[in-house]
Amino acid sequence: MKHSILSEGDEEPMDPVRKDEFDSEACGSIAPKAKPCPRPKPGEAAGGCSFDGAQITLLPIMDAAHLVHGPIACAGNSWESRGTLSSGPCLSQYGFATDLTDSDIIFGGEKKLKESIDYIAERFAPPAIFVYSTCVTALIGEDMDAVCKTAAERIGIPVIPVNSPGFVGSKNLGNRLAGDALLQYVIGTGEPEPLTPLGVNLIGEYNIAGEMWDIEKLMNSAGITVTSRITGDARYKEITWAHRAKVNMVVCSRALLGLAKEMESRYGIPYFEGSFYGAKETTYSLRQMAFLMNDREMERRVDRLTEREEARLSQDLRPYRKLLKGKRAVLYTGGVKSWSVISALKELGVQVVGVGTNKSTEDDVRRIADRVGDDTEYIPEGGASRIIKTVRERKADIMIAGGRNMYVAMKEQIPFIDINQERHKAYAGYEGLLRLAKELTYSLANPIWKLAASPAPWDKEAHPYDR
Amino acid sequence: MSKDELNIKDNTSLFKEERYVQQRENKKQFEAPCSEQETAEALAYSKSAEYMEKNFNRQNVVINPHKACQPLGSVMAALGFEKTLPFVHGSQGCNAYFRSHLSRHFKEPTPSVSTSMTEDAAVFGGMNNLIDGLENSVALYKPEMVAICTTCMAEVIGDDLNSFIGNARIKGVISEEYPVAYCNTPSFVGSHITGYDAMIKGILSYLYTRSGIESKPGSGADSGEKLNVLLGFEPYTGNFAELRKILAAFDTKYTILGDHSGNYDSPATGEYEYYYGGTKLEDVPQAANALGTLSLQKYTLKKTQEYISGTWNQQISALSTPLGIKGTDQLLEAISELTGLPVPASLTEERGRVVDALMDSHPYLHGKRVALVGDPDLLIGLIGFCLETGMEPVHIVCSNGDVDYNEVKFKDEAEALLATSPYGSEATVHVGKDLWHMRSLLLNDTVDLAIGSSHLKFAAKDADVPLIRVGFPIFDRHHMHRYPIIGYQGTLNLLSLIVNTILQQLDDNHSGFNFELVR
Ligand code: SF4
Repeated sequence: MKHSILSEGDEEPMDPVRKDEFDSEACGSIAPKAKPCPRPKPGEAAGGCSFDGAQITLLPIMDAAHLVHGPIACAGNSWESRGTLSSGPCLSQYGFATDLTDSDIIFGGEKKLKESIDYIAERFAPPAIFVYSTCVTALIGEDMDAVCKTAAERIGIPVIPVNSPGFVGSKNLGNRLAGDALLQYVIGTGEPEPLTPLGVNLIGEYNIAGEMWDIEKLMNSAGITVTSRITGDARYKEITWAHRAKVNMVVCSRALLGLAKEMESRYGIPYFEGSFYGAKETTYSLRQMAFLMNDREMERRVDRLTEREEARLSQDLRPYRKLLKGKRAVLYTGGVKSWSVISALKELGVQVVGVGTNKSTEDDVRRIADRVGDDTEYIPEGGASRIIKTVRERKADIMIAGGRNMYVAMKEQIPFIDINQERHKAYAGYEGLLRLAKELTYSLANPIWKLAASPAPWDKEAHPYDR
Repeated sequence: MSKDELNIKDNTSLFKEERYVQQRENKKQFEAPCSEQETAEALAYSKSAEYMEKNFNRQNVVINPHKACQPLGSVMAALGFEKTLPFVHGSQGCNAYFRSHLSRHFKEPTPSVSTSMTEDAAVFGGMNNLIDGLENSVALYKPEMVAICTTCMAEVIGDDLNSFIGNARIKGVISEEYPVAYCNTPSFVGSHITGYDAMIKGILSYLYTRSGIESKPGSGADSGEKLNVLLGFEPYTGNFAELRKILAAFDTKYTILGDHSGNYDSPATGEYEYYYGGTKLEDVPQAANALGTLSLQKYTLKKTQEYISGTWNQQISALSTPLGIKGTDQLLEAISELTGLPVPASLTEERGRVVDALMDSHPYLHGKRVALVGDPDLLIGLIGFCLETGMEPVHIVCSNGDVDYNEVKFKDEAEALLATSPYGSEATVHVGKDLWHMRSLLLNDTVDLAIGSSHLKFAAKDADVPLIRVGFPIFDRHHMHRYPIIGYQGTLNLLSLIVNTILQQLDDNHSGFNFELVR
């Protein structure tokens, strides 16, 4: 790598982010070990359920209708609350629910479901309808598969049952079950238009804050096309022909690895796991794509592009790296993002002194270990106080986490960056890294922290935690 | 570092750039969407009376619901008591939703745990989860009381909370004396307000019964000169403060039963605690001796009110959210009647000032057609406020409005209230309808203003009507809940919000010659 931003003159040398044996492993030759998702522990403030996970995976299919079969809880509390952006259709934003009541629980809700499907098909004419089971419909034994099957025949559009009731487990498991539904009912059911150049499927990229658009722009400028978005800013149709892609990239989501694996064995599509957080990861991902496409010319284009982008980025980053160098961060986010964001932070000179491993798999933890030093604390389970403790003990300057922990950080007067689904800033790719650098600088520099940390003028007692 | 260098674009401005616009255009060609004409036709159809009729005939599917489920209300209720941990018995996802929902509204953390039931619990019952959960959560979060509610899953399999909690005591997971209140809150019945009510009643009756006290209302014993106050499912922390201010002006003693404002308005001291404020547990049984009870959400608090007037044998003044001048007048009269104290002069003076403000603004409000969405008690208050300012409520949608108080249905009361004024003559009240119905109403018969929660923003945008955010949830604006909307002061806040939105609209839509300095 000629122009690595990591080997600039005045910067401290860093360990290579990726070790060699990992490189060879990531090309898709080795199947991941199936490992059950960890079970939540009673009495803790756990994360979302499988239903939530399944919905999150499929909701970014923007032109489809998403119907929740269950009482008001699951739909009423969740519709339209994720920042997955659409460049066009927005049917996916509608909160459709069968809103089962007590008599439906006793007599069954299948008739209601059937009629709901018919109504949606007639009024909204979507290309497909996804129907989600919930705890209640699974418990009362609704035969959703059958209802969906006959409905699909009747109305002439695919009606896809997503069997992922909340109680079967964690959000991660729900992501997987959604992947299963795609494999079973969607992928392989359509053919791309004749003149569409085939390329890469992006699996597990949800277009949070519009990141997909940055990624796509980057790929296109190297001449790589996206075949199917699974599922950020996707259209139903494009997923039906995902099996024609030449390469699968699993973007930062262990949960959909099974999907890639299955596509490899069914359709012979090679896959790799990659990320777009940080310059190194981005470069690596683009190169992998070109390599697996087996196109020399494309590889050369990618090399030129990544060299140029990295050079420019390292120029742009210079002032921020000066400010950020040596800053300490605690990162608490869902499983996979943990390791990829670490790479990005490292490139900015930010040291990760604590990292959440709550939802990480063994592989994730291994990758985290590859990227952090020995004095980084692993935070195995949730609970705001646990995270805060790490921030205090490790004298961290900033906390990087999701919305549910954000307000605790505020209470503790800790600078904070939202890295999860509610954020509005796109951090992927080279430009994204620059944005992340700016955001970190911003967040650390805001005058409010000084104000908050100094006692009222009449209150002489010093603040307990001097940062 | 200069501000310019730090200019980070968020998705609004970033993706407006030409290069992205082009990218999206390319995508459109590839996906062959409907033609502009087809889109226009579909839009026109959705505005037609024909479609509206179809939409209102829709029986089975709910589109964009304006309600949350019972346990969400229970979690909020539990947070109204000192050092109390909300504990949701069911599968884990619901609890995560409640926590983010409430946090997104209040911009504050929400401590609440779940028993995380899974498949084996579905088969064998959730007793082990409940017992383990109690043990873990008491050890981790050190609450002084645990308040358990159920989700639909626990209800469908028929878990018996009382005996499970008993078994937890027998097993020694919690001591005999450790307080654990509970209530049943299936999501397939009622809504967040029903669940709020169930938990408040659950906690009051539990703490009262175990104290062994016998109620002697107004007895003078301990807290006999006090007044009990219930605010209900209250999304405004500012309303608690306003009510305290009013009660302080009366110089009466009082106990607020269920005060979650502490948890949702705590200072940034540099140290987060799980619990802030809340009604003291020991005050609850004493509340049975109070002079009487003031309830500010009579439809929400139905069961609790029945319990207080029944078991505690207490006089109750049950109102709806006291909005507007008349609504606040009723509130002050009710306090005066329950306590025997006269309305203080300071409040009369405040009233005069707010009436003055309403007069100043009335030319801009008069005849404004308004659409309203919300919970029943809030809607009664809002209707009253609109009518006294000369605004005309036109469409009123209440997804969870099928409730009654003393056999008076919400819908009947709303209609009777509307009938008292010529400004209410055009209004229709839609109970059990959702925001997709509201969209039809807005497109078919347009209004000047929509008032409701953030969820209404999509329909309001389609109809190009400005939205005044009032109620729950408000996700996309900051600090609204910190300003009271009840009492005279709240009326003033609501008035400024509305009239200044209208004035802003005048400035935005000026036609060149009327961009005026003085309004
Ligand atoms: S846990 Fe079950 S009932 Fe709760 S939100 Fe998830 S699917 Fe719905």
